[in-house]
Amino acid sequence: MPGMNSGININDPTVVAAFKTALLHQGLVAALLFIVLSLAWVSVREFRGTRPVGPQRDTRQPEAPARRVLRVGFGLLWILDGILQAQPGMAVGLPSHVIKPTAQSSPSWVQHLVNWAGTSWSYHPIQTAAAAVWIQVGIGIWLLLASRGRLLQFAGLVSVGWGLVVWVFGESFGGIFAPGLSWLTGAPGAALCYAVAGALLALPAGIWRSARTGAVMTRCFGVFLVGMAVLQAWPGRGFWQGEVHGQAGSLTSMVQSMAALSQPSALADLVSAFGSFVRADGFAVNLIAVLALGSVGAAFAIRNPRIVRIALIALAVFGLADWVLVQDMGFLGGLGTDPNSMIPMLLLATAGYLALTPTPAAAGAQESSQPASEPAQEGQPAGTSAFPIVDPATSNWRERLKPANLSGAMAAASLASVASAGAIGVILLGAVPMAAAQASDAASPILAQSVDGSSAPLNSPAPGFTLTDQDGRKVSLASLHGKAILLTFLDPVCVTDCPLIAQEFRQAGLLLAGHSSQVELVAVNINPLYSDVSYLRAFDQQERLTSLPNWLFLTGAPAQLRPIWKKYGIASETAPAGSMLGHNDAAFVIGTNGQLRQELGFDPGPGTAATVSSFATEIANAAEQALKQ
Amino acid sequence: MRLPGKIGMLTLGALVLCAGCGSTIAPSPVASSRAALPPAMSLAESAATSQATWAVLSMGAKSGANEFWQLFLLTANSQQWKLDTPPDVATNGAPALAGLAGPGLVAGVRPSLYLSYSPVSRTSDAGKTWSAGPPAAGLASVPDALAATPGGSQMLALSKSGRVASAAATSSEWRGLVTERSLAASAAGRACGLTALTAVAYATAATPLVAGDCGKPGVAGIFAGSGSSWRGAGPTLPAALSGTEVRVLRLVASSSGTVTLLQTGTGSAARLVAAWRADSGRWTLSPAFRLAGSDVRSAAFGDAGAAAVLLTNGRGATIPGPSGAWRLTPTVPAAPSATLALPASGQVDALTAAGGTLTVWQLDQAGAAWTRAQVVKVPIVYGSSG
Repeated sequence: MPGMNSGININDPTVVAAFKTALLHQGLVAALLFIVLSLAWVSVREFRGTRPVGPQRDTRQPEAPARRVLRVGFGLLWILDGILQAQPGMAVGLPSHVIKPTAQSSPSWVQHLVNWAGTSWSYHPIQTAAAAVWIQVGIGIWLLLASRGRLLQFAGLVSVGWGLVVWVFGESFGGIFAPGLSWLTGAPGAALCYAVAGALLALPAGIWRSARTGAVMTRCFGVFLVGMAVLQAWPGRGFWQGEVHGQAGSLTSMVQSMAALSQPSALADLVSAFGSFVRADGFAVNLIAVLALGSVGAAFAIRNPRIVRIALIALAVFGLADWVLVQDMGFLGGLGTDPNSMIPMLLLATAGYLALTPTPAAAGAQESSQPASEPAQEGQPAGTSAFPIVDPATSNWRERLKPANLSGAMAAASLASVASAGAIGVILLGAVPMAAAQASDAASPILAQSVDGSSAPLNSPAPGFTLTDQDGRKVSLASLHGKAILLTFLDPVCVTDCPLIAQEFRQAGLLLAGHSSQVELVAVNINPLYSDVSYLRAFDQQERLTSLPNWLFLTGAPAQLRPIWKKYGIASETAPAGSMLGHNDAAFVIGTNGQLRQELGFDPGPGTAATVSSFATEIANAAEQALKQ
Repeated sequence: MRLPGKIGMLTLGALVLCAGCGSTIAPSPVASSRAALPPAMSLAESAATSQATWAVLSMGAKSGANEFWQLFLLTANSQQWKLDTPPDVATNGAPALAGLAGPGLVAGVRPSLYLSYSPVSRTSDAGKTWSAGPPAAGLASVPDALAATPGGSQMLALSKSGRVASAAATSSEWRGLVTERSLAASAAGRACGLTALTAVAYATAATPLVAGDCGKPGVAGIFAGSGSSWRGAGPTLPAALSGTEVRVLRLVASSSGTVTLLQTGTGSAARLVAAWRADSGRWTLSPAFRLAGSDVRSAAFGDAGAAAVLLTNGRGATIPGPSGAWRLTPTVPAAPSATLALPASGQVDALTAAGGTLTVWQLDQAGAAWTRAQVVKVPIVYGSSG
């Protein structure tokens, strides 16, 4: 799939170091954020002279167990996922090692959609990878801390949003449009479970005190499992055979690919042994899976708490076995981004079961978004606010943002609310730089640096030349004095690197459009045979360079060209048997005073859209620097 | 069941159905409107003049950045084929050949990888030196996408987009002559039901020829240009061959006039006919050669109108000229790329290429067996294009 940096080593030290640095810096900012919020909260409360007086009675309803399971369970899962996103290879590797393979068997429209996301990630790998870390960690913390009220509902909605983003772009819709969909291998996608859980958490708390909620949840879950059993049993989908014509069947190949990942040897041996078992007894394994899914699904659909409890235990046993033996715990080896679908699925099933027998509402209790231990000032009755809390229903936003009202609201907030605000800050800490980076069409120069290293500074007069441009006009280096020059050497009949370098220059030209009268983009022909200007024009047309006003492609007789190649250290060598001309790839930055400023290694590497854009950014930055010197 | 439950059930049901549909969608059969035509030929080929025989074969990998097409040359005064691929350009795209008088050749490299146009180079001294010709628009993937007058003063190119253009050797640009669309819209094109252009050649320096597939049965789509007008100029096929569509497989100039290879019908009904055009415009047809379920894999032409084809079943067939008859050869040793060659000496060679090795086989006098005559190791630089 193009545009996904598939040619860059995922553990490239340049990118990994930048990613770690970004995480460290953002981590420090996150810590600082929590410290500042805590200090502000304590200070405001002290300044206002507020402290709890006597024992407080929490008048609110206790959190429904089903809701707590979802909140805590998915909060922890989001944090785990965030930590997994911090793996060093994730910045470069996620598009090529996670997104691309996941989409491979999906229809082309899914691949196009996912490719777009992968390319966007690839353009700004550091910011996007760091954002994925902080957004997921932030959602996790938020879910863990906001145990009730609107804060939890908002956290649920954010979880829905990000879960769907991950499900669509990271999991290619959980593979539901691809052949081979199976509950055993993770369908319909772990992230969809996160989104469903988020949606449930966004429901008003009162709904959790109705047995109907549990009934709907368990019935839906039951029907879903029965559907998955039907899919698993459907003939012709390759699940009944452990081996087809000497090739591994669908389930066998999944298990074997998991066994091949790097992981503790004991686990690898276990998974590998199970793979062999599936290969030999595919029919029996699938029969067990179909029966288990069908019967557990039917039991859930019945909605009888006792039957559901037994079904839940069976599902837990079956699911955990699948999690270890088929899904390989999801995150071991390779670049695992989550523990796959089984754990979130079990959390949803458990919540459904718990919701079947809801806790009755306590007399006089209320669901509130106000803090649990709201302090009272001396003389105030317990449980009432001592601060001027502005009623959102009756005041406008200007009113609410007044310093006095803000400080009042802060003083009235619980520790959990303040910490939740910190979690929101953590999410923004990742999301804002990512959004800012994605707003730019130009890729980060980090990719170019990872391919060719940093540039070499120079400070010597640029060797002069007088050649003919693509329009047949004589052009000398001296005639370009006063302009910053980006100089490279291109073969007009090259089939690989030169067209990519030309695209890098073209994109740099577009980035420098505001300086087109001050910057000249110059290429010198490196091919002694195809040196006629007609080849320069054909190349320019091929690479859409004709619209760049400051593009010069220069040529001359081989006797004119050779000394220039030599002075710039460019080797041109005829290779045998249909190979293109051999030459080194380099670019030079010449300052406005005619001095060589930099030599950039210019092997275009994998030549993806992201690396081309990255090189363009690098040379455009170099040109801007040269203009300032 | 109450409403939320129903909604949930419906949603999950839809999800399951979608998943099921997604997993069981089978590719719909693609209707082929061109079922009556044979498959496209390989771009491996050979052409000969009185002083040189040239052959092009695919070597290296089967396709992609490590497939390098190689040009080989056998001069009249030598018994040994030698590697003569034009320098300083990657030949991941197959070179299209246009033989010149004597040891001369024009070669245009078809587009490949990031190269979308066709560099053109020429030699007049059997590959000792090469010079660049005007760059052409990306040449079509048919063997006769490039043609030249015997002296090389004029060139003709058929591009991927179906545009035919000409250029003088001294010019730096190509001039459009006709397009597939405009030719199809002309009276001659309508009479044939032209659907695609497949070859270009020069009958004389003033008469460019363009060939194409005709939708109308029995019509050989060869057109002669005169100024801006084009007229049907193909041979008239005998009634026995006029019931099926005709594909112009090859159209080349030789010292004894223009030669074409036509295929009529497909499968067991497929026949191959060679035709020679005299300067008067009159065609002489060969006997129809029964292809017996095979297709033509590659073709070769000798200097004086001789032609040879290599079939997909491994057999070859040769015909010495307008007055001759088709003669089958033994099976050519299997190889990923192969062509027959007809040097001026009158011998029949088979060139087979696999990886970096070219093997030359010679047909014995009795035409009964192939004898290995030469092995050429080609120093392919793998990875140089990717």
